Amino acid sequence: MKTWLSHHRQAIVATLARMAQTPFATVFAVIAIGVALSLPAVLYVLLNNAARLAGTLPAQPEISVYMRMDATNAQINDLRQRLKARTDLADFRFVPRDTALVELSKQAGVADISAGLTQNPLPDAWVLTPRKAQPENITRIATALQALPYIDTVKQDSQWAQRLNALLDLGHDFVMLLAVLLGAALVAVSGNTIRLQILTRRAEIEVSQLIGATHRYIRRPFLYFGVLQGLFGGLAAWLVVAVSIDLLDRPVAELSALYHANFHLQSLGLIPGLTLLLSAMLLGGFGAYLTVTRTLFQTDAH
Amino acid sequence: MIRFDSVTKRYPGGHDALQNLNLEIAEGEMVFLAGHSGAGKSTLLKLIAAIERPTSGSVLVNNQNVGKMRRGAVPYLRRNIGLIFQDHKLLFDRSVIQNVLLPLQIAGFSRHDAASRARAALDKVGLLKREKANPITLSGGEQQRLCIARAVVSRPALLLADEPTGNLDAQYARDIMDMFKAFNQVGVTLVIASHDEDAIRTYAGRVLHLDHGVLQS
Ligand SMILES: Nc1ncnc2c1ncn2[C@@H]1O[C@H](COP(=O)(O)OP(=O)(O)O)[C@@H](O)[C@H]1O
Ligand SMILES: [Mg+2]
Repeated sequence: MKTWLSHHRQAIVATLARMAQTPFATVFAVIAIGVALSLPAVLYVLLNNAARLAGTLPAQPEISVYMRMDATNAQINDLRQRLKARTDLADFRFVPRDTALVELSKQAGVADISAGLTQNPLPDAWVLTPRKAQPENITRIATALQALPYIDTVKQDSQWAQRLNALLDLGHDFVMLLAVLLGAALVAVSGNTIRLQILTRRAEIEVSQLIGATHRYIRRPFLYFGVLQGLFGGLAAWLVVAVSIDLLDRPVAELSALYHANFHLQSLGLIPGLTLLLSAMLLGGFGAYLTVTRTLFQTDAH
Repeated sequence: MIRFDSVTKRYPGGHDALQNLNLEIAEGEMVFLAGHSGAGKSTLLKLIAAIERPTSGSVLVNNQNVGKMRRGAVPYLRRNIGLIFQDHKLLFDRSVIQNVLLPLQIAGFSRHDAASRARAALDKVGLLKREKANPITLSGGEQQRLCIARAVVSRPALLLADEPTGNLDAQYARDIMDMFKAFNQVGVTLVIASHDEDAIRTYAGRVLHLDHGVLQS
């Protein structure tokens, strides 16, 4: 275990020394990887913020509940008790049929019509505000109420929430697609720098193979190179995300202040950040593996 | 230790570099491989180290058919063979001692053991004083000796040398041959290829003559 650790340390130090030998190539590769990774990462962060914002929007969707025309006062009270008992409602409001008619007749053009009515055609109604805006939530409340015998119709106004959710889902798919594409780009970038490394170390590889080096032995330093380069690229991407979100946060906060809200952008969290680093290391190592293995089978002394 | 059974080697697109070759080399022998340039000496050595594979026939090294050996097993065969190359194949991006350390690093020796072994090998070929030098600053004879140090550092039972005295003047060549004799005296089997018949004749030892890929008897 101890020798294993010291082997790793030696290999890492040797790899860093090799990177320092070609500082420009190393820096360019790290920037290329960092920029490639930062694109999906920034989008991911913005999308998460959009989802967070959607959850806290002041304009909550509403559910309108219309009672049957023959509903009794007892039934109205019964419903009031039931609504009070529900924990998934933020608020509810009773609109008696008379009030509704008065409201209606106040509206221009409708007054004449209502004046001609001998009977109030409007039912007693309720306007509910669910605590959470998710469509599942709204549908659950609506179905529960629809089942009551004295309820005529329940109208849920959740279309906008569904649309927003669909949009956010689409955004997530897009980020995934982008991540896959740019992950492939990372493999290519890593493979290419390793290819250049191999060119400068051809003699060493040939001699090592002639004096008994296994493929694994020859591959190892290049894998270290790919993984470390990926790690640095991942760190660069994280930095890009942190700086961009920091720069965007002020205008976003100012904008939200205009709407009397206090919204701040959240940056990349620890777990997604570590995932970013880990993927960068794995992809960098994978690119190195592919390139070295290809070269080994080409140069293999039969 | 080494046994060739009707070995033929044909390079792609070429004629037969070796034709229907049969030979046996016992453990502890010192064998010279003589013949004109292009006779097939290098090819024969390459077959022993599995650098090339026979077109037909079998090459046995320590009873292993190295011609049919798995790719993954070849490195372990080579660790038991010291190879001295015609063109030295030294690495000029590192010091003399680093060159000698390479086989030990590959075989997984600890740093401490490796360093003392490498020093001992350099001492044997008279290059200990140059351990920190870059091999490019060494003379031809010194480069050849460095190549020998690298070949013997892991104490292989078999040494294969391809034209080890090729471009050296007589005095250097004699030094190197004396070195080989010393290795042979401690039990190392040697196969030495050389087109220089005069140099070979001065040493008692078995000589195999190759002519256009055919072994003369
Ligand atoms: N890699 C190769 N490809 C094709 N022909 C080769 C190759 N290596 C050697 N030969 C041919 O095989 C014959 C024997 O070569 P070699 O074993 O190098 O002879 P020697 O070492 O005795 O000079 C020569 O005719 C040479 O041209
Ligand atoms: Mg030759």
